[in-house]
Amino acid sequence: MQKDFHYYATYCAAYLAGYSHQECLDICYSAQFVDWCSVTLLSALKAPKAAATTQLQLELMDARTDLLGLQDITRIWSSFHFLPYQLKPTLTKRCKSYIDKYALICNVNGDLVVDTVNLAKGRSLQAVGVAMHVLADTWAHRYFAGTPSLVINNTNYYFYELIGSGKETKERRITFRHSASTPDDLEHSIYTNTIFQSSERSIMNLGHGRAGHLPDYSFIRYKYLPAWGEYGEIVKNNPSDYLNAFCQMIYAMKYLRGIERSFEKSRYDVTAIAPWEARIKEILTRRQLDACEDWRALGEQLSGESIEDFDLEKYQQEYLDAPKTGKDDTFIGKFILAAMAQKSMVTNKIYKSGNKLAGFSVDYNEHGLRGIRDYFRLVNQAKEESE
Amino acid sequence: MNRRQRIESFLVGLGMLLCCCVMVLNATVGYYLAAIIISVSMLSFGVRLLVYYQTMARHMVGGKAMLFLGILVLNFSAFIISLVNTPMLFLLLYLLLFHGFSGAISVLRAKEARSFSAASWVLSLLMGIANLGVALGAVFAALFLRSLEILGYLYFAGMLCSALVRMASAFRRTEIVYIQ
Repeated sequence: MQKDFHYYATYCAAYLAGYSHQECLDICYSAQFVDWCSVTLLSALKAPKAAATTQLQLELMDARTDLLGLQDITRIWSSFHFLPYQLKPTLTKRCKSYIDKYALICNVNGDLVVDTVNLAKGRSLQAVGVAMHVLADTWAHRYFAGTPSLVINNTNYYFYELIGSGKETKERRITFRHSASTPDDLEHSIYTNTIFQSSERSIMNLGHGRAGHLPDYSFIRYKYLPAWGEYGEIVKNNPSDYLNAFCQMIYAMKYLRGIERSFEKSRYDVTAIAPWEARIKEILTRRQLDACEDWRALGEQLSGESIEDFDLEKYQQEYLDAPKTGKDDTFIGKFILAAMAQKSMVTNKIYKSGNKLAGFSVDYNEHGLRGIRDYFRLVNQAKEESE
Repeated sequence: MNRRQRIESFLVGLGMLLCCCVMVLNATVGYYLAAIIISVSMLSFGVRLLVYYQTMARHMVGGKAMLFLGILVLNFSAFIISLVNTPMLFLLLYLLLFHGFSGAISVLRAKEARSFSAASWVLSLLMGIANLGVALGAVFAALFLRSLEILGYLYFAGMLCSALVRMASAFRRTEIVYIQ
């Protein structure tokens, strides 16, 4: 997903869930900031690098793919962009290294989505934004894993775009190219993807890189053969998936606001969107690379307020100017705490399932202050919450 | 990393450090040792591809290609081993490709880091310049000076850095803290 959904659509969902205009702005800013909070940005802010929620293109190119490098990559991408669905899959006749990678395939309505939403309960608006990013991405990025893996994330020439609907649906062969600077050509179904690399651990095989930006476009429907699917075809219907993501976000945020009593899997708030359903479907199905303007117009119509564009530098000076003891109370400080809590939780669940791809997790209650020092501030946060 | 992985990382680093010492103390042996290391790495890559096919890639759509690739690499590396008595070629290719690529990426990263006002851009730029310098130095030493000695020292320096990084990573804190 891109800024159109993580920022503007999240604003709309938050508003429909009952948040005020200013709260919606904070939530959608945090949801979008997940796609920007890299080690490079954190080092410019002199903030804990363990809070990174994404990796820039060149950071990835430069990333080491040794054991520690892979764990770092997997922690970031599995925690925030490709939330695993089933950590203990039932596969036979596969070696453990294959099963470990298979277990990280992202899909919707897994246990970890519930854990993610519950983690944000009673926390900051930044935590709500982080959770909404993660939840929304489970719909866009389903069937791919947040770890570099050829055997899971590869695709081949069998890739068709489905155009039209019902009996008039036409299949058009998708052509992939590897030019990152050239925009995708919707008219001729020519899209950019990562280049084929035969190395299992190549960064080119991370997430949906081999399928290009197709999972990030709300309008597209396509079919392809996932590398892990034993030649079974997958039909990906993004308009339908994105609508579910939108309705699930509203339901989740109503739960976080205390309107819903619990957050359950496979529940979507379709009632809240009923007056706007036709408009939302129209936005989701319009063939365009960027739906920001459409979502912004809807958001402004909903709240009657102007929605400012996402400004990466908006809260940076506040964080830089804050004294050391007050940094956690700034906007970015709260985001950092939310991000580290999410990463810590997901890493722990993956580790507890017997899978070491995201690294080692130590339980503070059992082992005390061990491990990466950046995470110790979570201990302080937990102490403050319990007081 | 668990304890076994930490010990393994430290020992591999130590082994690389010892190789560096041997290479510096006995340069003639060192050049051939470097060529052997590079060619054996290729051979092991071919073997690893076949193991990879057997354990993982055969479950993948189109995975048979990995089997053919493994056989091809294995054959090619066997051929390369027969050229091991020409260490200059090995060292030149390795230094040019590895350091040239790393250098270009580091320079681009420095540019990116600078756009975020991150102080790390200076370090990235210096590393990029150093790597590109090594790659260009290798070309200059091989084509104009015909000096195997300089190529050897460039290779040893790279290996020494890798050894130190491996040994240091054995002592890094890597566990993620989790609070119930």
